[in-house]
Amino acid sequence: MHQVVGISEMIVTQNPADRLVTYSLGSCVGLTLFDPAANIGGLIHCMLPLSKLDKVKAEARPAMFVDTGVYFMLKKLLELGAVKENLVACVAGGAAPLDVQGSFKIGERNFATLRKILWKNGVLIAAQDTGGTNARTMTLDMPSGTTTLKSQGKEWLMGTTKKHTSCPALQGTTSGLIGAAPNAS
Amino acid sequence: MLRRDEILNQIESVVELPAVASELVELVNDPDADIKEVVTILEHDPGLTANLLKLANSAHYGGRGSIASIRDAVVRLGMSKVAELALAIAFSPNAQRPVQGYHLAAGQLWEHSLSVSAGTGHLAKALDVPAPGYASTAGLLHDIGKVVLGTFVEVDARSISECVEEEEIPFDEAERRVLGIDHAEAGAVLLESWGLPADIVETVRFHHRPDEIEGDPLGVDLVHIADILSMESGIGAGEMDGLCYRVSPGAGSRRRLRALEREKVLYDMICTLDELRAAMAPSPSHG
Repeated sequence: MHQVVGISEMIVTQNPADRLVTYSLGSCVGLTLFDPAANIGGLIHCMLPLSKLDKVKAEARPAMFVDTGVYFMLKKLLELGAVKENLVACVAGGAAPLDVQGSFKIGERNFATLRKILWKNGVLIAAQDTGGTNARTMTLDMPSGTTTLKSQGKEWLMGTTKKHTSCPALQGTTSGLIGAAPNAS
Repeated sequence: MLRRDEILNQIESVVELPAVASELVELVNDPDADIKEVVTILEHDPGLTANLLKLANSAHYGGRGSIASIRDAVVRLGMSKVAELALAIAFSPNAQRPVQGYHLAAGQLWEHSLSVSAGTGHLAKALDVPAPGYASTAGLLHDIGKVVLGTFVEVDARSISECVEEEEIPFDEAERRVLGIDHAEAGAVLLESWGLPADIVETVRFHHRPDEIEGDPLGVDLVHIADILSMESGIGAGEMDGLCYRVSPGAGSRRRLRALEREKVLYDMICTLDELRAAMAPSPSHG
């Protein structure tokens, strides 16, 4: 089923027929995570780097912020039975306007936060397409496990289901996740 | 410059101002206007009245559920705010449709417009400056030129993209080179033909080049920065032009904010947008 992931939203799924798509990635970051062994995947579209802007909102909508969103996504994927060391990560977005003073850096800050949280959790980025001025559309195709990008009328393949090695991870448990827990309780 | 003339000739026929809004604009520009006349004009259009009351009652516009009639709205919010709301609603059918050329899906231009309009207020607050009264209306209408120019951009899409890539220039500059006019000016020409106040017209005209406006740049700076922030969030950033616009160094240094402060403004814009979206949604039956 074709499912749209809105800005500040996330969908994780184990339905092999699903196709997750998110439009209009500007400075926001989009992340797909896919476990090819378990056929579990997800797509998140985060708008701002840090949840400290509004802790209460971050509990209600963790996907709005990169720090709470990526944590939340990993947690949901592992709850469904995905294995952290199998996860193939594709990252897109983080665009910026033409800015000689370099003060409009939301995209850069989003990507830096994302990379840090994935790294702390031992998930390697398999493919990335970030920066520039393009707005991007990102799709995770569950039947094939592939992530594709579309921008300015062109479409291309980003990542495949090829396995990669990563740091030893806590398999099938959420207790070892590092990030900003959207809900402390 | 044939292309420019061809475009200018078509501008007014592309987007028409609904009669009600046009009567209202005249009245609001008239210092002797009578509140009764405003109320009468608006109440002749029940659809517009219903939608206006929905927006007026959102927390953002200050009604908080207590405005029951157009008269209430005028008394509580003032004539110029009511005129702004009426324009918003008059513009919404056009802004809700997909915009060709820029590859904007249905609703995207409308949401971008609302967020920039709200953003001017949030930004002024963060900067601790008083937002000029026209800024939020100008924010709402700043990209109306995309509706006009879209068909022309569509036809010349390849030349414009090539121009952007090869010359490494912003999208609006490429529009000017290829079409002889950019969407900001096209919007200004349209609004001028509708008889909107010069402050609004000039702010729309220079929203990508705030340093070139004559007079106080505060209003255009607010629209310019709110526009960039909204594009960053991806709202209204089409696959064609995306974020390919230049941040004005002048506006940047006149309106200094730290990274986190700027992100807070964007965050507030999005919260307001959520709220307005909810307010405008078809209301479920009460009770």
